[in-house]
Amino acid sequence: MLRITGGQVYDPANNVHGVVRDLCIENGRVVADVSGGRTIDASGMIVFPGGVDVHTHVAGAALNFARGMIPEQQRMARAITRSKVQRAGIGGSTPTTFATGYLYAGLGYTTVNEAAVPILSARHTHEELHDTPILDKSCCALMANNELLLDLFEAGEFEKAREVTAWLIYAAKAYGVKAVNPGGVTGWKWGKDCKGLHDVVPGYNKVTPGKIISALAKIVDDLGLPHPLHLHCNNLGAPGNFTTTLETMKLLEGNRAHMAHLQYHSYGGDDWYTMKSESATIAEYFNAHPNLTTDAGAVLFGDTVTITADGPWQHLLYKLTGKKWGNIDVENETGCGVVPYVYKEKNLVNAVQWAVGLELLLLINDPWRVFLTTDHPNGAAFWRYPEIIQLLMSSEFRKEELKKLAPKAMKRIILPELTREYTLSEIAIITSAGPARALGLKQKGHLGIGADADVAIFNAGKDVARMFSYPRYVIKSGEVVIEEGEIRKTVDGKGFLVKPHYDPKIEDYIRPLFQQVYTMSFDNYPVEMSRIMHPDIQPCMPHNL
Amino acid sequence: MHASQSMTKTILTLKKAPHVPLEAEVISPDVFSTLTHDAVCGLTVFLGKRQLRLDEFFDVEGPGSENIEIHGDAARVKWIGKTMTRGSIKVHGNAGMHLGAYMKGGSIEVTGNASDWVGGEMKGGFIRVAGDAGGLLGAAYRGSVTGMSGGTILIGGIAGTELGMRMKRGTIVIGGAVRDFAGLQMKGGTIVLMSGAELRTGAWMARGTIISLKPIKLMPTFGQACTYVPTFLQMYARHLNTLGFSLPCDLKNGFYQRFTGDSSVPGKGEILVWQPASSSRGS
Amino acid sequence: MGGKVSCTLGEVKNRADLIIYWGGNPAECHPRHFTKYTIMQKGKYVPNGRKDRTMVLVDIRETPSAKAADIFLQVRPTKDFEVITLLRAMIKDQPVDEAAVAETGLSLEQLRDLVARMKACKFGVFFFGMGLSMTRGKHMNSAALLTLAAEMNAFTKFVAMPMRGHGNVTGGDVILRYTTGYPFGISLSRGYPRFNPGEFSTIDLLIRGDCDAALILGADPGATMPQPAIEHLKRIPTIVLDPKVTHTSRLARVHITTAATGISAGGTVYRMDEIPLPLRPPLKGPYPTDEEVIRRIREAVAKKADWMPGMNGVVAAA
Repeated sequence: MLRITGGQVYDPANNVHGVVRDLCIENGRVVADVSGGRTIDASGMIVFPGGVDVHTHVAGAALNFARGMIPEQQRMARAITRSKVQRAGIGGSTPTTFATGYLYAGLGYTTVNEAAVPILSARHTHEELHDTPILDKSCCALMANNELLLDLFEAGEFEKAREVTAWLIYAAKAYGVKAVNPGGVTGWKWGKDCKGLHDVVPGYNKVTPGKIISALAKIVDDLGLPHPLHLHCNNLGAPGNFTTTLETMKLLEGNRAHMAHLQYHSYGGDDWYTMKSESATIAEYFNAHPNLTTDAGAVLFGDTVTITADGPWQHLLYKLTGKKWGNIDVENETGCGVVPYVYKEKNLVNAVQWAVGLELLLLINDPWRVFLTTDHPNGAAFWRYPEIIQLLMSSEFRKEELKKLAPKAMKRIILPELTREYTLSEIAIITSAGPARALGLKQKGHLGIGADADVAIFNAGKDVARMFSYPRYVIKSGEVVIEEGEIRKTVDGKGFLVKPHYDPKIEDYIRPLFQQVYTMSFDNYPVEMSRIMHPDIQPCMPHNL
Repeated sequence: MHASQSMTKTILTLKKAPHVPLEAEVISPDVFSTLTHDAVCGLTVFLGKRQLRLDEFFDVEGPGSENIEIHGDAARVKWIGKTMTRGSIKVHGNAGMHLGAYMKGGSIEVTGNASDWVGGEMKGGFIRVAGDAGGLLGAAYRGSVTGMSGGTILIGGIAGTELGMRMKRGTIVIGGAVRDFAGLQMKGGTIVLMSGAELRTGAWMARGTIISLKPIKLMPTFGQACTYVPTFLQMYARHLNTLGFSLPCDLKNGFYQRFTGDSSVPGKGEILVWQPASSSRGS
Repeated sequence: MGGKVSCTLGEVKNRADLIIYWGGNPAECHPRHFTKYTIMQKGKYVPNGRKDRTMVLVDIRETPSAKAADIFLQVRPTKDFEVITLLRAMIKDQPVDEAAVAETGLSLEQLRDLVARMKACKFGVFFFGMGLSMTRGKHMNSAALLTLAAEMNAFTKFVAMPMRGHGNVTGGDVILRYTTGYPFGISLSRGYPRFNPGEFSTIDLLIRGDCDAALILGADPGATMPQPAIEHLKRIPTIVLDPKVTHTSRLARVHITTAATGISAGGTVYRMDEIPLPLRPPLKGPYPTDEEVIRRIREAVAKKADWMPGMNGVVAAA
């Protein structure tokens, strides 16, 4: 039992905006009242629902591939020293699993969505999530280059594709469906790409990225997954790609979709020399279409490593940087590329990227539909979120930061014209309440009766970056895990997943095909439920917009 | 620097050789310079997983200073002079791994042998080892893009593999023979091999200069460019003479054959091999 | 600067039309490789199987694998690095020293033919074995082939994959990476992971005598490591967890018999392409699993006084 008293509570989902009130917790849930137990005096502090990250890369074969590729960054990373309560690890751009739990909790985050899981190695992703303490976790399975599905789209067998999708989601013990560069990664298997929505996918006659996107968005809604199609558009990172993004959003009318890391998809210009921000065009369309949510995929200057299933983009980045390049193509399903990268203030392209992330957050007027992410670790490591919060809350601070850019960059961006400043309530929405709603996790992102007792308590102060970097208390499932900035206790997290409806006979269709094109035995493919720590199956309800 | 300070010395005498490596990056003029005798004694060193006081291993004489002398066989003492920027360390005996790693200035002298990673990723300063050294001296640590980027490393004896790996600037001179991959992926700077090298010298080099006074086996991706005695060598020879290494550069005695490569990069590095007037081409 | 460009084995099965084994003898060391993953399989985009694929074997001697190859290139011992570096230059049309080429055991013609095939294929793959990675040049030989594969992607699809050794070596590598950030050669003595192969790698530690105890799990270094390393294992308290008596268990102070993984202990094994496979033990045995033994040792150790007092305090030697 726990009572938090005297704090200013921000619970935007329940229309509570900075009201001083008590918060009571019992058996891991928020309750109306408790008698006895510990009391935390939160006077002079602000109380948020625990943070929820809608799009991050914290576990899985691709991230783990990256870890092994960048010892030079790992050496300089924050060392997590073992103690009685925490295990050793390192921070940096690709923190180790245990460190990931500590560092997220150290920001007041308690739920994360791992955004890219190849089904073939999902078992491995779950092994890593199992060793990521404190956080509740969900994950999205990569589907938009799955050749079992693409073959069905080619044959026009939509119904069967829906059954296969449902089976695959549960085989991966996933929570949602991720689409990355639909068709493009399949093309990459031949060293090619799919940049336009109407390009025919290499190896197929009819399938195009546009068809894959429409079909998957519809399947996800038909199956009633709590989280809409989680989409990484085609043509990521390329100058002029905003037209592809607009076209994609138009294609999605009538379905729900979450547009991942929109920053990387909002560029104008014809090439690297003329690249500019098109965030205003993208935001204008987005604002008018409530079927969509998005996350920023904001960029911060400094060292990081880029990791994505978008193989062709990573090969281009390797050619541009001339540095290291890692790539793993996953049979019949997806690919992944890894390229260490440094975002530099004086680099015009990087300056545009930095500005676009912030512009989208400021121009999209409904905070319930745009969320704080850096597409960790692609734009910056997640532990740098407080820097972005500071930029959003102070236009003065943005002005100072803008001075560091090359003067030439000013003509390419609109950030200098934007004066909007986020309120604390809005920060609570983009870091917790909004992503929880987009994920369809009803017990997350708010502090109403019955909610999971995940709470972050910060010192109210003027130094926003510092305040959000060092929460005074973090409570996970009713347990105080962080106190005075230190890990005091680690708890296990839950694993959210879904079991959408499918006819078990679909296995008779998949099994022989599988044996032809895969190299693993069919019975070894689905992840066993026993490998998920504290599984929590969320219901599926058909969505009709 | 105050004159009085520059004359004081801190003398460390090893009481017992550690049975597993002792990590002692605190043995650095930057750390010692402002400390009292007692504070130096109380500095933390790491014996395996245990944290101990410096004076458990060393008798400490004198107050902290910018001039450190070490006596005894410190072959298992790692990280001596790590990141130092000034002052001097003189080791009477052997030194362990990572001697002068990341150093920016000052000087280190060792009368005995040193181990691997001498001057790893150093930026400036001077290291002289009278005896032998291990591998990877002046090299990049694993994964780093750049090895040493300034300063001088002189080794009287032999050295191991991958010396000067990815170095960008600075000078390495080795008196004895060196093993494989000298100047691997070198990007600049100069390596002088007084007694030649085993295989794959200059492999994958992009830029920089390797001078060998003995015939060496070259990679098939190096081509012969010309024979000459470049003028910069005469200046270099005068400089090396003051450091105790004699580099021939008199046309009466011979000439240098110049090879360029590594064409696999493709790179513009050069390897100069000395041909004494009396002998014919030997590479 | 190169990198690591790879794929899962099914990609090779479905697409590879040029398969180059380098310094490995799959016919004897990975007997199912040809039939399950590479040359013999009919794949989605290589429907005629063997007919649609070209196999090249590069090795220092004609092993039984050469019979399966369309092209056998016999390179002189210790010349692999030179040959691969030559190929890196030749794919970029850079000049090479013809006289020096002959010293590798291969002719310029043979290399030109190989380069032409590499550029003409649709999907090329290098598999490399210990004949490359454990001979003179070691990690640089592997790095050379990985770099060549990465650079080949300027022309066509190309990947490289090591043929990992026995047991679950890949699994160890994978798990160390996500728990410590590094694949091997890790020291935790300062309370957090540090990485330096050559300094912290097992053989080097043992040969230099840098450790004063050893816990050996799932390996038999007493059979495979150089003699000075084995001598040090004999000197120090060595503890072995193994289902059977091994060279190492014979020299160890303590041998704890554990359940055989895959027979009476479950878990996950990682294929050489890092794909995890579940192990379903068919039998129940009397012995505890490795995991259980380690867990119990850890619990006992956790009850002892902490040796990591935080950076302020100093603790006396035990």
